[in-house]
Amino acid sequence: MRLFAALATLLLVVGFATGAFAHAALVAVEPASGSMLAAAPKSVELRFNEAVTPGAVRLIDGAGRARDDARVSASGETISVAMPPDLPQGTAVVSYRVISQDGHPVAGSVIFSIGIPTGTQPPANVDRGLNALIWLARVGLYLGLFVGIGGVFFARCVAWSMTGLTVPRVALLVGIPSAVVSLGVLGLDLLGLPPAALATVAPWKVAFAASAGPALLVAVVAMLLAMTALRSAWYARACAVVAFIGVGLSLAMTGHAATAPPEALTRPAIFLHGVGVAFWIGALAPLAALMSKPATAALPVVNRFSRVAVLAVGVLALTGLGLAIVQLEKPSALVETRYGTILSIKLGLAVVLLALAALNRFRLTPALAGKGNAASALKRSIVLECIIALGIFALVAGWRFTPPPRTIVPETPLAIHIHTDKAMFQVLVSPGKAGANDFVLQLMTGEATPLSAKEVTLTLSLPERGIEPIERGASLGPDGYWHVAKAELPFAGRWHVRIDALVTDFEQVTLEDDLELAPP
Amino acid sequence: MSKRFCLILIAACAASPAAAHITLETKQAAVGSYYKAVFAVPHGCKGSPTTKIRVQIPEGVIAVKPMPKAGWSVDVVEGKYTNEYDYHGNKLSSGVKEVAWSGGKLPDHNYDEFVISSFLTDSLKPNTTLYFPVVQECETGVSRWIEIPAEGAKHSHEGNSPAPGVKLLPKP
Repeated sequence: MRLFAALATLLLVVGFATGAFAHAALVAVEPASGSMLAAAPKSVELRFNEAVTPGAVRLIDGAGRARDDARVSASGETISVAMPPDLPQGTAVVSYRVISQDGHPVAGSVIFSIGIPTGTQPPANVDRGLNALIWLARVGLYLGLFVGIGGVFFARCVAWSMTGLTVPRVALLVGIPSAVVSLGVLGLDLLGLPPAALATVAPWKVAFAASAGPALLVAVVAMLLAMTALRSAWYARACAVVAFIGVGLSLAMTGHAATAPPEALTRPAIFLHGVGVAFWIGALAPLAALMSKPATAALPVVNRFSRVAVLAVGVLALTGLGLAIVQLEKPSALVETRYGTILSIKLGLAVVLLALAALNRFRLTPALAGKGNAASALKRSIVLECIIALGIFALVAGWRFTPPPRTIVPETPLAIHIHTDKAMFQVLVSPGKAGANDFVLQLMTGEATPLSAKEVTLTLSLPERGIEPIERGASLGPDGYWHVAKAELPFAGRWHVRIDALVTDFEQVTLEDDLELAPP
Repeated sequence: MSKRFCLILIAACAASPAAAHITLETKQAAVGSYYKAVFAVPHGCKGSPTTKIRVQIPEGVIAVKPMPKAGWSVDVVEGKYTNEYDYHGNKLSSGVKEVAWSGGKLPDHNYDEFVISSFLTDSLKPNTTLYFPVVQECETGVSRWIEIPAEGAKHSHEGNSPAPGVKLLPKP
């Protein structure tokens, strides 16, 4: 039993991962960001790690003007932004906002220069005020779903009494507008619009089209049903049960945890997890109120709750563990990523929560049958549980802004593209930092057909530090690219890269460029 | 260890005077005239004795005749020219494209010359440099004297192994 409790503690904590969201990640861009082009590209292609829907895509041309004549088309994982034909020389910026499968926006910029670089800047994307609002609305939504609906369910189906429903009622009154606000700010975030745009139809339409829209709708309906169940009517219990199921459904409809493969397992897991949280946390406020009643009235209710609660905690723990494994992929992510940090803090809070729950279950509840002040001790303990639960909601709402490690694409290698009339070399350098670097050389002719070479030599020098050319022969890999493994580049700085490709015995193609190497 | 050696070698090479390259003895010649190309080979490949010299004949250079050399066998590779050239009333559309001396052994500490007689047609552009890419094969290793600077490019890229060249003068 103790082992189970310990395991349950761990699992439960990890289990709150339900609320996690993650985003699509940009995998490749053509032309590469930071590249220098001789002529304006026909289009900019953005490839993501999953299918995305374009939200807002903006083009700022080399003259610093925002253009509205860039045509955006999407097919699956790729978004293509057709460039207007009269793009002037200079640095152009394509900033994009796309909608991931989970309904959340991913934003970024691609910068490339035509002819000469100019100081065009990408627009700042992060709106702190909006993020705070998204976070607040989400906390409010959790309150409505877990405290509100959970509380009503407890009253109707466990306690069979309407004692202590003030808190759930308030939670529902907070939750319903929060859900509506969530929908609106999601739309704003997806389109990158200011709050004033809430008066227009566009953000609402986009939010509804995303998977989060219907999920929020289900949440609102569930909360309305819970409000109905507050009234005494013959159908009140049925409403409470349906609302309770709605909590799980709403959570399982969106978010990256729900869209994580295998969905056949993750979606039911989230459903059970959400229902478990609502059952447990929802009961706390009415239970605390019940403690003010005579022990004879409270004891049967507390006992009934305790029996089911053990099962609920078990379900929470198991589903939570499964989801956390799917999202984290490896234990080190627990400390190495922001997502993992939130999870770690939550772990601490949930351990305390579990300890309190165990105290209530195994010490205070049996003591309730005995002498006087056990009830007030249990009440204090439950109030503390409520506060911790609130803290956990606040924390979990922060996951909205951090992608789970599962979706983090490994750091893309440093890439340079050297283009002359004769040839086009793509050079990938990983990790692109001072130290040992692996080079992949993709050789193409000026017409973009593969260039077959007999020998390829890579020469690196760092003139600013007086480092003379270091020459390394490349070897042809089975992938058709030339590789140089573990080239030692001892310092950060602007390295000069020279590639000699021997095409025939007497002919070689030499391309040169500079490479900005970051400190380790 | 080998990296340091490599660095020293590179430094040494970079510091060596231009004479350490395979060069043409006669530095300039007029188009529409005969040209005796004398390839001076000052050293082997990183200390290894030279065993073969291959010279690519650029387009526009015809009537190529390599001078035989004691201890070496000379071979030519013939092929089609891109253009057709008038040579003493004959239309030439093919001829020697490559000359190779092989079978000899030229130690690193010795110097030698390899000679070709040729005719520079007036299709060649005066005031440019005509390059004869050379591949020097040694007992160990190969040196390729084949780097041709890009047209108009005068920047840093001072090749390590430039192809020997001759400056073309206008027809007298």
